[in-house]
Amino acid sequence: MIRVPMAESTPAVEIRNLSKEFRTSFRRKPLRAVDDVSIRIMPGEVYGLIGPNGSGKSTTMKALLGLVAPTSGSCAIFGKDSLKTDSRNEVGFLPENPYFYKHLTGAETLRFYGKLCGLYGKALAARVDELLDLVDLTNARDRRVGGYSKGMLQRIGLAQALIQEPRLVILDEPTAGVDPVGSREIRDLILKLRDRGITVFLCSHLLEQVQEVCDHVGIIFRGRMIREGRLEELISIEDQTDIVLKDASSELLEKITALVAATPGASVVRTGKPRTTLERLFLREIKEEKP
Amino acid sequence: MTAIQHQPLQGSHFRRILVIAANTFTQLVRMKVFYFMGIFAVIAIASNFFDLPQHEGPESVGSNVLRSIKSWSLGAMTLFSVVLSVVATALLLPKDVEDRTLYTILAKPVPRFDYLAGKLTGVLMLVFVSLLVMDLLMTAVLHIRTGMVVEQQMEMARAMGWPPEAIDSLRAETLANGPNLSLQGAVLAVFLRASIMASLALLISTFSTSTLFTTIVSFLVYFIGHFQADARDVWLHAGQEGEGVFARLAALLFSLILPDFQLFNVIDAVIEGQAMSLIALGKLTLVGLYYAVFFTFASWFIFADKEF
Amino acid sequence: MKTVWKSVALLGALLAFGAARIPYEAGLERQLCDDGLFPPDLEIGTRERIGQTSSAVALGGLRTLVATFLNLRAFTFFTEQRWADVEDTFETMVDLAPRTRYYWETGSWHLAYNAASYYINDSKLPPLRRREAWRASIVKGRNFLERGIRNNPDDWRLQASLGFLLSDANKFHAFRDPDEALAASADAYRAAAATGRALGYVKRAELYALARVAGRESATLALARRLYAEGPQNRTPTLQMLLLVLEAHENPDMNVDARAIEIFGDAQKAYDALSNHWFRTRERFPVYGVAEGLRALEKQLAIPPEDSVLNQPPPPPRGPDDWFRE
Repeated sequence: MIRVPMAESTPAVEIRNLSKEFRTSFRRKPLRAVDDVSIRIMPGEVYGLIGPNGSGKSTTMKALLGLVAPTSGSCAIFGKDSLKTDSRNEVGFLPENPYFYKHLTGAETLRFYGKLCGLYGKALAARVDELLDLVDLTNARDRRVGGYSKGMLQRIGLAQALIQEPRLVILDEPTAGVDPVGSREIRDLILKLRDRGITVFLCSHLLEQVQEVCDHVGIIFRGRMIREGRLEELISIEDQTDIVLKDASSELLEKITALVAATPGASVVRTGKPRTTLERLFLREIKEEKP
Repeated sequence: MTAIQHQPLQGSHFRRILVIAANTFTQLVRMKVFYFMGIFAVIAIASNFFDLPQHEGPESVGSNVLRSIKSWSLGAMTLFSVVLSVVATALLLPKDVEDRTLYTILAKPVPRFDYLAGKLTGVLMLVFVSLLVMDLLMTAVLHIRTGMVVEQQMEMARAMGWPPEAIDSLRAETLANGPNLSLQGAVLAVFLRASIMASLALLISTFSTSTLFTTIVSFLVYFIGHFQADARDVWLHAGQEGEGVFARLAALLFSLILPDFQLFNVIDAVIEGQAMSLIALGKLTLVGLYYAVFFTFASWFIFADKEF
Repeated sequence: MKTVWKSVALLGALLAFGAARIPYEAGLERQLCDDGLFPPDLEIGTRERIGQTSSAVALGGLRTLVATFLNLRAFTFFTEQRWADVEDTFETMVDLAPRTRYYWETGSWHLAYNAASYYINDSKLPPLRRREAWRASIVKGRNFLERGIRNNPDDWRLQASLGFLLSDANKFHAFRDPDEALAASADAYRAAAATGRALGYVKRAELYALARVAGRESATLALARRLYAEGPQNRTPTLQMLLLVLEAHENPDMNVDARAIEIFGDAQKAYDALSNHWFRTRERFPVYGVAEGLRALEKQLAIPPEDSVLNQPPPPPRGPDDWFRE
């Protein structure tokens, strides 16, 4: 894994004791969407916030982007308060199910967002080409966004988030509603970003995908952070070990079983063929179909 | 990767506003609002051929056509500019929220004021360009027709043996009904009123919950605004007529809050052939700017810490 | 709490903003009024009618367009001879477009001429009611035109139209005091001439009106002399004739026939002019010395008594008394 040198000590994301209440109606008790959540993401990390729908993931992200103001607590991006506009110089955001201006083409969309970030002229044109290439939309660059598929929208959204080369990218349900191929492509893109040293903060309710790309994970439920830490530490079962063999004969298996049985304290929990996931199967099959 | 310079955030408000304005302009153009232009062209040219059944003395022959061209054209401009300003402004802001495009814009280093000002400028750019095109068409039609009318009248006057000074007076009178600077001033007044309406709709849409609400309230204010001057008169001249304290206070509140659209009735006077002085036009422009700027800042005041 | 605070702040700002602009706007409105860009204060009744007829009125910039439409409607009413509707429609039109002379002129013309003539011939009403309707209609036309003049004080054509209406021999019986009407007619023509833009005829028209006001003979004579001296373009038969009779009035011993020959060129021309004038009594033109002049000229021209104009029956009297006979 390529990592950025950790010389930088300012966290990319610093959320401190964030709480957010929404007033649903005038009299009723306010709804606490986020309750005392703290998250710290260091530069270069890929952080996944997971939780069921309505658990406060999106609200946390919006607070980080200054789209909602915290009831208490604070958010900062690279040390800059989220309520200040300049904190957004270094961040790219892909909202959940994004729609863009339908009247613009893919390339125009990117140019628009680029100009908003102060890019002009050749630098902007080069950046647009590069990003279209990155998200594999070069062929669709002059088509109106109104005619894009869900996966294409998600990808142009990702390109838009990256337009000013932010050091932090925030992705809200980046694969929601996208078919497995598109989903895979987006996952690959996230891995590419990680390789370039860009900090990624994403949230999802699809645990498996989070597992594949994130190195840090937080679990949020009903507005509260339940568990947080490095992914490997969180999901490893400390007292078990996997051994996966290829072309092992039945004699070899017997020998191993016997060896284990002879060792005091150790036992075989389960043997059998490892199963591929349905998703992996699907992806493998359609890859074989393609010429 | 290519080297990219980050513009400093401060100091490029103007550019960002222009970017958003240009985007809004394109958006509206691609929503095909310019189709209205076609209708306008038909109206402007058709009003040329309206031979209304009416009684004309020999000396006023044709003058009515000039007035008819002007009132049709400026009427169409008024309708178009006011409706477009209100509806476009009332529509675009909630649409951005609904489509979440607003998130992507505000997640960029874009101050909220720039966003609002950009949207407003975009709508106004479209109104301005439309009015310019309509104005050109109207001026062209009017120019041709005025020439015809003057020629007709001169022929008639000569045939009747009018003295030269009478002929000159008639010509001057007809030319006052032709295309002139006052008419251009009236078109500018139409634009100014549209800017007031657009910024008002912007203000309302920052706290309204639906496009329909914004549109209805804006038009209500528009209609009532034409009677605002009367309320002001009640306040200023009360006592003489003996209105009660309550009526006076109500009139004061009314005239303080609602914009005064009656000032823009100068447009009608110009259609009727009156001349508008540059000073009057300048003062009217100040009034328009005053409202537009105030409403924009008020919108920002509400919008600045709005949550999405 | 923050929302409440913000709303209060915004309302406060709105009020302060209003307070700051009101004097400016009131001043601008006064200036626009002075520039003639702003209609004078609408009357209360007008507002009520506007509320009833078209709420589109509030659309500034559309007022003249609405007036154009109403003009079409008024024309329909006119062809259907629905005079009350014609009147209402024109009232609204001039409220919408008070600066458009055409509406004032046409409205007044419909009332004073078209509607009035209609009542002369309307057999559905008894004569007295017809006469009253005729009279009222003409008075309305006059009032309408006078309002138009108040709205457009520098428009000479409106003044001239009023002068024409008030000195029309078919109309002045409708006014309680024809002398007053004719004097007002002369005033209107004078005001038209005073704008400096009017055609030359208005000055002579003033004289024609003034000549028919009893007791104003010397002033009229002075005017006639001035106009006559101005040049040949003013020496119309009527003006020449009026000069003659007014001189005869001033100096009853004047030799009318000699003066007539002097003015008109020769005895035959003078005789023709005097005989024509003799029959214009219905128009209330003064005839001082005309009978004497005719007699003297007949003697000169050897016209037999049976051919004498003085012995011809006068043209049948035509006036309200004839129109509204039982």
